[in-house]
Amino acid sequence: MARISPTPSQKITFFFTTALGAFILYLDITTSNFDNIKNGFKAIKISSVYMVKNLAIEPIKSLINLSRSKNELIQENKNLKKALDTSYLNNYLISRDNIFFKDQEIIRKAYKDGEYTFEYDIAQLRNINPNMYKCCDKHRMFIEVTGTSEHGYKESIVFNSSGIVGQIIDKSKFSEVLLLTDITHSLPIKSESNEFFCNASGSGRPEIIICSYNPLVWNEDIVLDQIFYTSGLGGIYPKNIKVGYIKNIEKISSNLTNLEIRLFANPLDDNLFGVLKY
Amino acid sequence: MNRLIKRLLIIIFINFIDQNIAGFFSDLLIIIPLTFLAYSFYVYRSDNNIGAIEAFLVGLFIDLISDSYFGLNAIIFCLITYVINSYANAFKLFSYLQICIFFGLSCTAYVGFTQLVINLYNFSYLILFVSAIVNIIFCVMIAAISVYFPRNVKMKI
Repeated sequence: MARISPTPSQKITFFFTTALGAFILYLDITTSNFDNIKNGFKAIKISSVYMVKNLAIEPIKSLINLSRSKNELIQENKNLKKALDTSYLNNYLISRDNIFFKDQEIIRKAYKDGEYTFEYDIAQLRNINPNMYKCCDKHRMFIEVTGTSEHGYKESIVFNSSGIVGQIIDKSKFSEVLLLTDITHSLPIKSESNEFFCNASGSGRPEIIICSYNPLVWNEDIVLDQIFYTSGLGGIYPKNIKVGYIKNIEKISSNLTNLEIRLFANPLDDNLFGVLKY
Repeated sequence: MNRLIKRLLIIIFINFIDQNIAGFFSDLLIIIPLTFLAYSFYVYRSDNNIGAIEAFLVGLFIDLISDSYFGLNAIIFCLITYVINSYANAFKLFSYLQICIFFGLSCTAYVGFTQLVINLYNFSYLILFVSAIVNIIFCVMIAAISVYFPRNVKMKI
């Protein structure tokens, strides 16, 4: 059957809907009016997946486990895995070349009742879109913090067993984490000698942040594989935490050089994170 | 109502596959917009013209489930629906290869536009070029399967 070409009224409708779409797109890019809808949908999505998993998949799994009489072993295995992940986070904090270990203001109760008790909360990864992380400028993830902080977790640091991954920017049901590689993120960093400071912006690429500086102002020789640390100037992150190393040096002009820094921490590596208010 | 739910479930399913394969292909500098292709094919195969409101709402729904900016898919879906509606009869004069090239290039336009909006700082012509070739080959493969194995596929281009 032949299809008729769009009539003038249909053309007007197409024009109107396209213009409306463009207007909505402009609004969404420039404002945060639609964030509530998006976050609400994400919360529903995460909760439903969690619920479906608990209602449908877990019973089947436990049935199989019951038939094999391995329930306790599996549970113990899960607990051990969680304890191991937590110990990785603890190890990261108490590592000797890490300022977390030295700064009593950060860890107020480093040693209590014969065991280490750090004032940070454990968070479970709830949602991260690896495609967005690999392809696009917006790098976010959602975590569920198990602790109950009186002051909330906004602007808290999020780290995994390899290093800092970002900061919490929003708290609804799940906490939204702005990753270091998001293009809107800016991280004050410095060299080991304390003679070079720079604001490293997220590149929109996985594990890469970019620091642009004027070589006429900063005289220090920057070399490949040189390690960079947080400078602590932004007030969010503590200073002297290892961030990453120089992967590439790109000279744009005589007064502008870009440093590509590869981060030590990758948010896709772990499911368990630490949340620390500095 | 059943038809609507069925369509929504199909969109969610295709989008789910789309997002799962995207991670693998992005390492190879390839983007295959499966959801967009499936919708284009639906408009192309439809007996009647698809309305602008339907295209807009489907696009908006895909924006919501794929975590992109609202309006991004809505605009592109409206445009591709208009183009396919306008040339629906002309397509009958085209060869399979020409139709495949049209859909492959539409996909490239989609990739280019979406990358401009969501990945402006790392926009790559290489990704666009490679995706164009792969999408055209992908469309040709789909057409070839439906032509050479009509009983197995039950899908007519």
